[in-house]
Amino acid sequence: MDINAIRQEVELEAKGINSPESLEGFRNKYLSRKGILAQLTGAIPGLPQQERAGFGREVNILKSQILSIIEERQKVFGARSGRSSSEGIDIGMPGIAQPLGHLHPITQITNEISDIFIRMGFSVVEGPEVETEYNNFTGLNIPLDHPSRDAFDTFYLKGYNKLLLRSHTSPVQVRAMKSRKPPLAIIVPGRVYRPDAVDASHLFMFHQIEGFMVDENIRFSDLKGILELFAKAVFGSEIKMRFRPHFFPFTEPSAEVDISCIICKGRGCSVCGRKGWLEILGSGMIHPNVFKNVGYDSKKYTGFAFGMGIERIAMLKYGINDIRLFFENDLRFLQQF
Amino acid sequence: MRLTYNWLKDFVEIKLEPELLADKLTMAGIEVKALEEVGGDTVFEIEITSNRPDLLSVIGIAREIAAITGKKLILPKSQSHKVTKSQAHKGFSVSIENKKDCPLYTAKIIEGVKVAPSPAWLKNRLELIGCRSINNIVDITNYILFTYGEPLHAFDLDRLSPGGIFVRRARQGERIVTIDAAERSLDKDILVIADNQKTVALAGIMGGKDSEVSPYTKNILLEAAIFSPALTRKARQKLGMQTDSSYRFERGMSPHTAQNASIAATDLILQLAGGKLTLAKSAGALKAKPKSVRVELASARRILGASITAKETKKILVNLGLNVKASGKDAFRAGIPSFRSDISYEIDIVEEIARIRGYDSMPTTLPKITPWPPSLEKRDLVGLVKQALVSLGLNEVITYSLINRALLEPFADEKDPHLVEIQNPLSSEQEVLRASLLPSLIKCVAHNHNQKQEYVNIFEVANVFTEDKGQVKEELHLAIALSGIRPLFIEETVIKDKAGLLHLKGICEALFGKLGINKYEFQDSGNGRVNISVAGENTGLLIRVASRISERFDIKNQDVVAAELSLEKAFVQSNFSRKFSSLPRFPAISRDISFILKDEIPIREVLAALEEKGKPLLAGACVTDYYKGKQIPQGCRGITVSCVYRLEERTLTEEEVNPVHSALRSLLEAHFQAKIR
Repeated sequence: MDINAIRQEVELEAKGINSPESLEGFRNKYLSRKGILAQLTGAIPGLPQQERAGFGREVNILKSQILSIIEERQKVFGARSGRSSSEGIDIGMPGIAQPLGHLHPITQITNEISDIFIRMGFSVVEGPEVETEYNNFTGLNIPLDHPSRDAFDTFYLKGYNKLLLRSHTSPVQVRAMKSRKPPLAIIVPGRVYRPDAVDASHLFMFHQIEGFMVDENIRFSDLKGILELFAKAVFGSEIKMRFRPHFFPFTEPSAEVDISCIICKGRGCSVCGRKGWLEILGSGMIHPNVFKNVGYDSKKYTGFAFGMGIERIAMLKYGINDIRLFFENDLRFLQQF
Repeated sequence: MRLTYNWLKDFVEIKLEPELLADKLTMAGIEVKALEEVGGDTVFEIEITSNRPDLLSVIGIAREIAAITGKKLILPKSQSHKVTKSQAHKGFSVSIENKKDCPLYTAKIIEGVKVAPSPAWLKNRLELIGCRSINNIVDITNYILFTYGEPLHAFDLDRLSPGGIFVRRARQGERIVTIDAAERSLDKDILVIADNQKTVALAGIMGGKDSEVSPYTKNILLEAAIFSPALTRKARQKLGMQTDSSYRFERGMSPHTAQNASIAATDLILQLAGGKLTLAKSAGALKAKPKSVRVELASARRILGASITAKETKKILVNLGLNVKASGKDAFRAGIPSFRSDISYEIDIVEEIARIRGYDSMPTTLPKITPWPPSLEKRDLVGLVKQALVSLGLNEVITYSLINRALLEPFADEKDPHLVEIQNPLSSEQEVLRASLLPSLIKCVAHNHNQKQEYVNIFEVANVFTEDKGQVKEELHLAIALSGIRPLFIEETVIKDKAGLLHLKGICEALFGKLGINKYEFQDSGNGRVNISVAGENTGLLIRVASRISERFDIKNQDVVAAELSLEKAFVQSNFSRKFSSLPRFPAISRDISFILKDEIPIREVLAALEEKGKPLLAGACVTDYYKGKQIPQGCRGITVSCVYRLEERTLTEEEVNPVHSALRSLLEAHFQAKIR
């Protein structure tokens, strides 16, 4: 084979390389396993002894010429193409992996809130969804025939004496305090039920998370401190908070807690009803009657409790405007979280 | 409740602009929901908590403003009216059947009134708060109701039969037409006002049509009374009617307020409608039992975590209308006025101090928290399960625990669990607590197919409810539903992967692995149903949902497979202790056998036989490839089993393995009619 003829051919062909494909063709023609250079190298053993070294040198020079042509051309095309000719893939194609599924946003918010309190040293306790009238009402200082009960409209079970679906997570306070002695620092997530007509902001089943702490010397100021840590962890350290007096039968003093509207930063918008504040939870110091009902000495122990609707927190945090979306379980909704 | 800025100014000096006043009230627990400027006045809409009936009045709110701003409440001087005795009412009596139902009833008779439209100022005030003006007498009773909080009623005296007023329980089947023109049927749970012939009003709720004040009324009987909160509540629930009056009686009224309101109303009637007072009678207790509460500043400090002085405490309590006396060092005894039915304990006083001082002025501290010893709880296991399922690509759903009974039917166990029924559902969609999660999940599948989702893979973890020996049993379940075709990308192509029972099996196996459960079995019980047992106990099932069932859920032309298992039972068998076993020191020899196997021969039996026969050199045999279709005869499948030979103590030689492996090949041919390929 005439190396010089091949060299001339290479130079001629190099001028004609005008696409990644023609470059690939050029490379295959000369450098592939059965390409021209391989043939040249393969011919060496058949040459007379004295010609072998010189021929080998020529082949090597040719090879480096070809390589530098390829390298130079590749720089031109490489910038334009994501395709790496050496691997033979198109990186724009879908990646191959099992896609992850999604936890329901309610679960995610519940976990987020729980984890905040767990990091502070709280423990998670759960209670049954079917409760006694005593734990749901009487034990919590809610008289059965008083308007304060109107806020807790309740599903009763047929054929059972005074069994109901809990209308809040607070009955777990009664259960936990009856079965353990202070100090207690507990949070209670769970499903609750109220016979409300369904609309964009009401459902007959929703989720709450309850927290309470009992020890010697737990003060209202501690409640403020813990809730401030919590709200800033969930909604950001720049939010403002306010504690408004309110009435709950099972706490006194009681407070509703507002945060500055996370949409309008307190200037007033449709989400906060132009007030600049968003109510996020109810709280207060555990009522001495509740302590009496569970057999704690209210002269010795004090405590605080708070509770919030998880759907409400999720709606505020994610900007969801219809509570029914949580239970429709449309994959296009679930996969956003 | 609505009231106006100018109305409040009748009773307290207010220097704050309406907006600022609204803020102050809100931050003292009297939430101003909205305020609106109308015709030179500002209307406040206020939400009053159920413990404060005294705040359902202009004077009540004015008293709070006085306390918040440190001003004095200005109450109108009550005039004592001279009663001009009239022969006509000699022997007129007021009697109460049971003082528990009605602790106080006062009646005043005013004769010779002139019923006419109200003056402009009165009309205007009522209309601003959304109360329609009727005539001067009715308007005055309403005006006093909103000012004092005490509901009053005026009867046309000439429509009552003479002799007196009786407060008693209604008789079974008794009827009355109320002012709203509705006829109501009564029973013994309803308290009524009657003359000696008939019922003339529903006590504390609404008057009767027949005796209402009309343009022709000349003489009136003015009622101011107190009715039992519980009884009023029961009656209004029974009758399904809530009025401004029942709303207040249900929360509790005070005898002091009732009498003041009656006097104020009489004043206004004489002034605006003329006439003269000819009778004033009452039955029951004119005074509430005096009540006092002792409060120690130390308690307030202990609960609030704030420094509180005796001086400011006294000022707050006095401005709220409490009668405060020192009671030892740093302690007070506070006489509680009868309108503050919410104050009975020291903690109630502590709250008043905090509320009026403002919660924002309380310090912020952090408590010392004593954590419990950490332990793995059910919730943590649920977390593991959910995390595992999500990493397998499944999406979590949350569905209602209440369901229509008919939807549960197709999934009922043969044991037929007794369903737990709801006594007061709002619709049939809430009639029972579900005993299975499956119908709810299949509903979700249907919804998502309707939204044109090709592939639905969802799970839920929730309690199911059954009756067990007269008790309600709550058991934590997991359910999974798969439906449709998922594109599975592999190098160079895409496989259309149709969800089936083996997918569910794989998910369950992964889950059991995560929970450290290794004693489990899947038993095919035919008809597209596979039972799952864990440690010998029936723990769940896999099903291919029959199309006649999925059609009920409006799923057409889509197969659905679903699994449900008791997490409660699975968790009992979970095991998180792990023990290291040494990695093999000597290499294994791996040999494949490819063969064609008839469909009816279970692979589980084949593998078990191979493992038995291959002992002790065979360390394990597993399926590594299978195929159905071209090149394989009908009713058969092509299978490759990989056999791994290994000894603990030394390297095996080909010569040792060969005879064993041929024995396995022969076994397949001889016992399982397999055709080696």
